[in-house]
Amino acid sequence: MIYRIFRKELLDTLRDRRTLMTMLVIPVLIFPIVLNVFVEISKSFEVDAQEKTLKMGVWGPKSEQLKGQLKALPDALGKKKIQSFTDSASLNKAVRNQQIDLGLFCQTDSSGKNLQLDWIFDASEVGRQDRAQAFNDAISAQEEQKRLQELGIKVQEIKPVNANFTNCASNKKMVGKLAGGFLPYIFIAFGFIGCMYPAIDLFTGEKERGTIETLLTTPVARWKILVGKMLVVISSGMLAASCSLLGLFISIEFLDLGAEKELLEVIHSILTFPFIASMLALLLPLVIFFAGVMIPIAVYAKSFKEAQSIITPLNIVMVLPAMVGFFPGIELNLNTVFIPVVNVVLATKELIAGTLGLGYFVCVFGVMCLMAFLSILLSYRQFDKESNVLS
Amino acid sequence: MINVQHLSKTFDLSKQQRKELQTAAKTATAVNDLSFECQPGRVFSLLGPNGAGKTTTLRMLATLVKPSGGQIQIQGIDAIAHPEEARKHIGFLTGSTGLYARLTPIELIDYYADLYGVEKTIREQRKKDLFDLLDMNDFLQQRIGKLSTGMKQKVSICRTMIHDPSVVIFDEPTSGLDVITAENIIKLIRSCKDQGKTVIFSSHIMSEVDLLCDDLAIVHKGQLKYSGTMDEFKAQMQTKNLTEEFIRIVQSQNQDQ
Repeated sequence: MIYRIFRKELLDTLRDRRTLMTMLVIPVLIFPIVLNVFVEISKSFEVDAQEKTLKMGVWGPKSEQLKGQLKALPDALGKKKIQSFTDSASLNKAVRNQQIDLGLFCQTDSSGKNLQLDWIFDASEVGRQDRAQAFNDAISAQEEQKRLQELGIKVQEIKPVNANFTNCASNKKMVGKLAGGFLPYIFIAFGFIGCMYPAIDLFTGEKERGTIETLLTTPVARWKILVGKMLVVISSGMLAASCSLLGLFISIEFLDLGAEKELLEVIHSILTFPFIASMLALLLPLVIFFAGVMIPIAVYAKSFKEAQSIITPLNIVMVLPAMVGFFPGIELNLNTVFIPVVNVVLATKELIAGTLGLGYFVCVFGVMCLMAFLSILLSYRQFDKESNVLS
Repeated sequence: MINVQHLSKTFDLSKQQRKELQTAAKTATAVNDLSFECQPGRVFSLLGPNGAGKTTTLRMLATLVKPSGGQIQIQGIDAIAHPEEARKHIGFLTGSTGLYARLTPIELIDYYADLYGVEKTIREQRKKDLFDLLDMNDFLQQRIGKLSTGMKQKVSICRTMIHDPSVVIFDEPTSGLDVITAENIIKLIRSCKDQGKTVIFSSHIMSEVDLLCDDLAIVHKGQLKYSGTMDEFKAQMQTKNLTEEFIRIVQSQNQDQ
């Protein structure tokens, strides 16, 4: 009987355009759209940064020397047009009025031997600071070289320490630990949104449309009706989360929207069957928990609008902890493993990095199963109250 | 058969409800010590003004609401102890009944037939009979949301009768319907009576009551004010017509208080 209710509710849900949008269309399209926008913006910034001719202003006793050195720098460091200023105040003013992109004050320090370079720029303009740093590094290197030659010293003689830094973390681990929070956040957000409309439609909607009364006069136990409906809500949440994964897959495989080749290889190595199965296993109790929290609200609410006005802010409360995954320092430990939602995010990060131990996996799964069970009990209690079911 | 003994229902009032009703009482009694019996092959009418407790009574009979006290027997089954067993024998139709707009009539009827556990062979014959009787064959594959009120009412009737219930409960079934659509309900009630089913319906339209009912009970503020046959009621009337007599009984109750 539960299966029969599930079948009917699923059919009813799949014929609702609003639910279809949140369950299938948006999750599938979100990654291609976000990645497309991200890639296009990054490209345009890169192109801008490379092709834009920077208007530079120089002033100071050493300005002519620096002008020559700057002009000699390769265009790979950025194209530039250099203008000399007769006083520091006018250069300062020109930079502040954005007539000049980068200002350079060239003097000597108190010893009279060393160059004193003061750069002025508007850091809110993307790339200015990087350009200033690049020019400064290039000139410093030239000056250092010149000084060493004058002194007749070889570079090796003044560098007593040669250091090498080796990153032993695999690319997969780096992506998992540093950027892995993004993926579970998206899945959790879609898991929640995917549950939302069916929960409201199948519970508050039935009350509002006056169909719940006749359903409850059938000789089917209320818990079976609840489970049948709940299964649709859970399926919808899981489907939405899975569709977002599908969207990511499509973006990478077919639309060529991924970033660098190395990163793509890492993503390929992450998107394996064991990874997807483990992630869905973590996601399932979480989605049941979401459904179990939403259903009592949907049962209590008297109208679609009321249910939506309560569940929408709940979205922030439930999904916001998932943003914890964005912070690289926070890890899965004996404390965080017991925090619902956060534990799933951190476990998924570890899963992506390939460092999730079986003990922690079982622990997170167990905690979320317990939360799911409690939320189902809560749903049943609310659904069994005649005052909440009948308006 | 329906047998009701000392039925009562008390609701807890929330703070908001107490404020709205301007009362300090923590509970409200909707039904108070009702006893009556509905016989097979007869139509029993439950009369009363708005807020009399008719809907609460019928919801208790349909096992949607648990009584605070008393007993209900449906076809000899204790409906309070075994609600799911009792529901197998009940067909329930209200004037405010909604339908699943995204399903077609045939999908909806099949769904309810499954919920009532109607066997496939019996179901097919019953569906055919009901579709022919209600002239539904032309719109069986259309989505319910696109049907007219009259068509929807036919689907509701079909849903109510698909499991061939021996007890049929109608809660103000014609409210909000035009006379032509309401006629389908009148025909259904008559047909149920002819088939020997036990029929109870609530109404405050006296012409309907006069047309259909064999037995009646008048309830007011949750209490039974009259119970007997229609013939007895007519015989002891103190006014010219049924409506005036109904008003007289209800108002005499108000004056007594």
